[in-house]
Amino acid sequence: MISLIGFFALCFSTIFSFTLLIPVSIFKINIKYFILIFRLSTFLVCISFISLIFAYVSSDFTNFNVFQNSHSDKPLIYKITGAWGNHEGSILLWICMISLYGFFYSLISKSANEFKILVLKFQSALFIIFALFIILTSNPFLVNSVFVEEGLGLNPILQDPALAIHPPMLYLGYVGFSLVFSLAIASLFRNNLDQDWINEARTWSMISWGFLTAGIALGSYWAYYELGWGGWWFWDPVENISLMPWIAGLALVHSLLMIRGEQAIEKWIVFLAILCFSLSILGTFLVRSGILTSVHSFASDASRGLFILLIFFLTTGFGFLIFLIKTPSKKDDLHLLLINKTSALIINNILMMITVFTILLGTIYPIIIEVLTNKRISVGGPYFNSTVLPILLPGFLLMSIAPVLSWKTNQIKKFRIYVICFLILSLIVSLQSYFTSFNTWGFIGLILGSWIIIASIISIMIRHRFSFTIKYITSINSFIAHIGVGVMIIGVTFSSIYQKEYNFNIEVGDKVSLENEILKFNDMQIIEEKNYQSLKANISIKKKNGNIIYIKPGKNYYPVSKMITTEAGIYHDWFKDIYITLGSENNNIWFIRVLINPLVSFIWLGVIIMVFSSAIAVIKK
Amino acid sequence: MSLRFQRLILIIITLVFFCSAVLLILFNTQKNIVFFYTPSELIKNDKNLLEKKVRIGGYVKKNSFLQKPLNNYQFKITDNISELLVFYEGILPDLFKEGQGTVVEGVLNNKKIIIASKVYAKHDENYMPASIKKELEKNNQWKKDYK
Repeated sequence: MISLIGFFALCFSTIFSFTLLIPVSIFKINIKYFILIFRLSTFLVCISFISLIFAYVSSDFTNFNVFQNSHSDKPLIYKITGAWGNHEGSILLWICMISLYGFFYSLISKSANEFKILVLKFQSALFIIFALFIILTSNPFLVNSVFVEEGLGLNPILQDPALAIHPPMLYLGYVGFSLVFSLAIASLFRNNLDQDWINEARTWSMISWGFLTAGIALGSYWAYYELGWGGWWFWDPVENISLMPWIAGLALVHSLLMIRGEQAIEKWIVFLAILCFSLSILGTFLVRSGILTSVHSFASDASRGLFILLIFFLTTGFGFLIFLIKTPSKKDDLHLLLINKTSALIINNILMMITVFTILLGTIYPIIIEVLTNKRISVGGPYFNSTVLPILLPGFLLMSIAPVLSWKTNQIKKFRIYVICFLILSLIVSLQSYFTSFNTWGFIGLILGSWIIIASIISIMIRHRFSFTIKYITSINSFIAHIGVGVMIIGVTFSSIYQKEYNFNIEVGDKVSLENEILKFNDMQIIEEKNYQSLKANISIKKKNGNIIYIKPGKNYYPVSKMITTEAGIYHDWFKDIYITLGSENNNIWFIRVLINPLVSFIWLGVIIMVFSSAIAVIKK
Repeated sequence: MSLRFQRLILIIITLVFFCSAVLLILFNTQKNIVFFYTPSELIKNDKNLLEKKVRIGGYVKKNSFLQKPLNNYQFKITDNISELLVFYEGILPDLFKEGQGTVVEGVLNNKKIIIASKVYAKHDENYMPASIKKELEKNNQWKKDYK
C-alpha cells in the first residue's frame, strides 16, 4: 500500500515537471502558478521518498527493495538509513535533492522572473531525466513476487553512523552542482553573463562544495575505523571519482570568489559549472555500472550503466554544446601580471584541471587498456601518489601567498616579513628533520603545511584589526580556509609517512611494550547486541605519564548475513591515534596489529575548518 | 618588465606545469601499473613475470586453506582450470573464505607460487571484479561449486 502511494507520488511529480517544460508561447502561465507547480512536484517527490522510508521502518517486506536490504531485527536508525543504503533508494534520494535544490532556489532567489523560470525549467528537465531512470530501470517500489516474513538484511559494514549520513551529504554535494549547472545554462540562454547569476552561483556552489567536502571526509573517516586497514584514503576508483568533482568544484568556487567582472573568467566559470555536474554524473555512472573494478561493491547492472551513460552524454553534450554556441564573444583584457591575484587564480585553476585530468586518466586507464589490448591492469596508490602530489605542490606554494597578492600591481605589502618568516621556518624544519629521521616527503609536507598556516596568520595580523564581530570573521575567511588546508597537509604527511606498525602474538594476561607505552591484554568478552554478537578484546595501555587507557578492538558476527566484521579499536589523542585490530586466534594466542598513526586528528580538524569556512562564505553576502 | 613580457612568462609557466604533468603521467604509467590475471592466464603467459608484482583474481580453493603459526597463511587460488599457491602473512579480510572470490596482489616466486602482499576479499557475496567475472563466465566457471 505504502509503496503504491510512493510510486504514484513519484509518477505525478514527474508529470507535473513535464508540464513545466512546455514553452511559454504555447502554454501561457503565470510565474506564480509556475512556481506553485514546481513546488507541488517537490512536495510529491518528498512524499515518495518518505513513503519509502516508512516502508523500511515498518519492515514492509511486500516491497522487494525492503526485502532485499532490510531485516526486522535492525535498529531503527539503520532501518531509516537503509532506505538510501541501496541503489534504488539512493537514486530516489538523488532526485529528491534535485527537486529540493530547485525549491530552495525558488524561495531564496531574487533574480528576475524570466531568469528564475528558465533555471527552474532546466532543473525540472534534469529531474525528469533521473526520474525516468528510476521508473524505467531502478524502481524502489517493486512488489515482492513471493510472500516472505523476513528480509535479507543490510550489509553489516554499512550499519554505521558515519556511513548513514555519508550518502546524503555526498549527494547534497553532487546534486548541488545540478543547480549551478542550471544557472550556468540559463545564463547562457539569456545571453547574459552578468553579476546577478554570479552571485547566486557563488552561494550555491559554495553550499554544494561544503557538503561534498563533509561527505567525502565522512566516507574516509568511516573507511579509517571500519575497514580496519589503518588508512583513510586508498585511491580506490570510488574515492577518485568523488575527488574529481570536488577539485573541479574547488576551482569553480575560487573563480567565483575572485571574479571582478572579467568576461574571460565568466566564460571559464560557465565551463567549470558544466564540468562539475558532468563529473558528478560520470562518477555515478562509473560506480553504478560496475565497469570499474573496485573493492567497494555496489549494485551493478549493465542496463543501468547504459542508461546513466546516456544521461551523461545527454547533459554533458547539451551543456557543452550550449556553451560553444551561446558564449558571448565580447573581448576584454585580463589584468594579467606576473604575480597578481588574477594570474595566481589562473595558475591555480590550471593546476586543478591538470589534477582532475590525471585522476580521471588513472581511474579510467584500466578500462581503456582492456578495450584496446584485452589486458587487465590495475592502477593503484603508487601511481596517484607520484603524479597527483607533485602536480599539487606548486599549487600549495601559491596558496600560501595568493590571498595577499594585489589585484593590479606586482607588489606584495610588507614583502620582507614574509621572506624572513619563511627563512626562519625552513631553518627550524631543517633542524628538526636533521635531528629526527629525515624523509623528503615528510620535509616538504611539513614545510608547506606550516608555511601555509604561518603565512595566513601573518596576513591576518597585518591586514585586519582584530575584533569579535562576524564581519571580522568573514573578512579573514579565505585565510581560515587556507589554514584548514595547511593543518590537513600536516596531518596527511605525518600520518602517512611516520606511521608505525607493530605485530604481536599475545595471550590473555601478556604485556608487551611499544615505544613509550606498555600494552596489556586483559581479557576477551562476548557481548550480545540486538542484531549481532560481538567479541571484544580488552586491552589496556599504560602511558608514560601513568595514565591508563582502554582500547577494545573486536569482531562482530552478524547472524542474518552470516558475516564477520572487524572492529578496529582506536584511541584518539591530539597527537596520535593508537589503532588496534584483532587478528586470528590459535591455541588461545591472538594476533594483534597495533598502528601508531601520528596526527590523524589534524586531517579531520583541517576538514572541519574548511567546511566551517565554506559555511561562513555562504552566509557572507 | 613590460606587460606583454610578464604574460609570456605566465604562459611559459603554465606550459611547463602542463608538460611536467604529462611527463609524470607517462613515466608513472610505465612504472606503477600492476597487471591483473586469472590463474590460467598467468600460467599461459609467456612473458617473464617472475619477481614482478601482479594481481590475481579467482576463488579460494576449497580445502586448500592452511593456517601456519598465527598470521601466516597458505591457500590455493583457482579458476577451476589452473591454480596457484599463495603464501600470505598478515590479517586476512573479514570476508575471506574458502570457495569465495578473492583478489591477491603479490610477487611471483616461481611459475606457480605467489608471495602475497595484499589479499582483498569481496565486500559482499556478489563481488567479483567485472572483468575477471567475464573471463570466468566465458569459461563457464561463474557461480559453480568449487572443490
